[in-house]
Amino acid sequence: MTKIDSVFWAYTLGWAVFFGFYLTLAKRSKDLRAEVERLKKAREK
Amino acid sequence: MALLSNAAVLLGKEVRTEFRSRELLSTTVVFVLVVLVVFSFTFDASTSDSRRFGPGLLWMAFLFAASLMLQPSFLREQSNDTLSALRLAVSDPFAIFLAKIGANTLFLLVTELLMLPVFATLFNVPLGARLPLLLLTFFLGSLGTSIVGTALAAISAQAKMRELLLPLLLLPVLTPVLAASTEVTVGLMAADPVVKWKGLGLLGLFDVVFLTALWLFGEYLLEE
Amino acid sequence: MGKRALLGAAAVALLVAAAYAAFFVAPTERTMGDLQRIFYFHASCAWAGLDAFAVCFIANLLYVWKRQGRYDWLGVSAAEVGLAFTTVVLITGPIWAKPAWGIYWTWDARLTSTFVLWLLYVCYLLLRTLVDESGRRALLSALFGIFAFIDVPIVFGAIRWWRTQHPAPVIMGGANSGLDPVMRKVFFFSVLATHVFMAFLIAERYALEKIRGEVEELREEAEAA
Repeated sequence: MTKIDSVFWAYTLGWAVFFGFYLTLAKRSKDLRAEVERLKKAREK
Repeated sequence: MALLSNAAVLLGKEVRTEFRSRELLSTTVVFVLVVLVVFSFTFDASTSDSRRFGPGLLWMAFLFAASLMLQPSFLREQSNDTLSALRLAVSDPFAIFLAKIGANTLFLLVTELLMLPVFATLFNVPLGARLPLLLLTFFLGSLGTSIVGTALAAISAQAKMRELLLPLLLLPVLTPVLAASTEVTVGLMAADPVVKWKGLGLLGLFDVVFLTALWLFGEYLLEE
Repeated sequence: MGKRALLGAAAVALLVAAAYAAFFVAPTERTMGDLQRIFYFHASCAWAGLDAFAVCFIANLLYVWKRQGRYDWLGVSAAEVGLAFTTVVLITGPIWAKPAWGIYWTWDARLTSTFVLWLLYVCYLLLRTLVDESGRRALLSALFGIFAFIDVPIVFGAIRWWRTQHPAPVIMGGANSGLDPVMRKVFFFSVLATHVFMAFLIAERYALEKIRGEVEELREEAEAA
């Protein structure tokens, strides 16, 4: 593996970490928003 | 000064409580002894190797022992809710911390002083050359361990899994103490003893910084 | 919602531009060759991580002082984001080390200190999972966060001194000292990009924590009813 390949992998893996982090945020946001809706509906009953 | 006299009275109480049962001290001393013996299997203890690696494992043994011994600091108070009584008794909650730090440092020092000759004998490392500075190192290191340990014990006492949590929180925070103490001790136990003043300075700095932090934030640690 | 999306778009644009600069604008370093280009990413992430932890520290202080939930939310958000950046530092370090020295890890001062830093904030997050009541959780983690952050400079200083006692290979040498002017500009641009990205991630995580707080409130209401 050439030296420039290592740099490429460093950037890719780094961005993968950030992307993964962002994805977990998005998923949890979606789930929690659904939960808020559910709880609000239950409260209105 | 009211703070110091309060702290002194509470320190007396801590020491008397411990000496009534002596369970903490005896268990800690035996624990360090066990760790020393167990470690002896991990490397072939020639004198030169022992001079290089011995201090490290000695300090690790003390840190592990401390993280176990600091638990009762606050857990003892929880069983009879004596903490509220203590807080009512003193105007400055820092006195409570000073007393506990004093007691914990004392217990750690007693353990270390008992274990040092054992270590010297088992691993063939003569101690005589720079004994006063060695004792200073142990004092500064134990003080740092107690200051941070007491503060974190107050935190972990209010959380779940506290027996595992305290060592877990303690060890990363204490890495400067471990690094500095080990290095200074290695220097003092070398065939040609050398005093690493910068290391001692680091230990002193650590102690001052965290004692100040505890003085500023301690009362919140004791909140109901 | 719109503001965060805008910030996100800006952050991504800056990151891509910074990467381009690192690969094509920055000159090739004399001794390490192209491998040195990892430095722009590695070091700028390190700074962003530390600054995220600094934000956490300030949030912790504010919480202890004011006891308002939003400072707790900011604290945990900044801590998680800081941890993400620090993780990237710990991943890119070995990727540099292997071609450079043939080994993945060396207990070099900066890498060791970064590892301890990482552990400290993992403990911060772990502590939070072990306290059930939200007010107590906020207070205890804020206090631990304060102690942890105060410890950071001492950790870096002590480990750096410890390392001088046992000289060993240094990751990226004194890459900061003696940077060619173009390199310096590329580096500062990378730092800007990672900081904008850090701000974006903290904002996103904070928004999530805010919703979580809402859910907790609604649940408590439902239980009281």
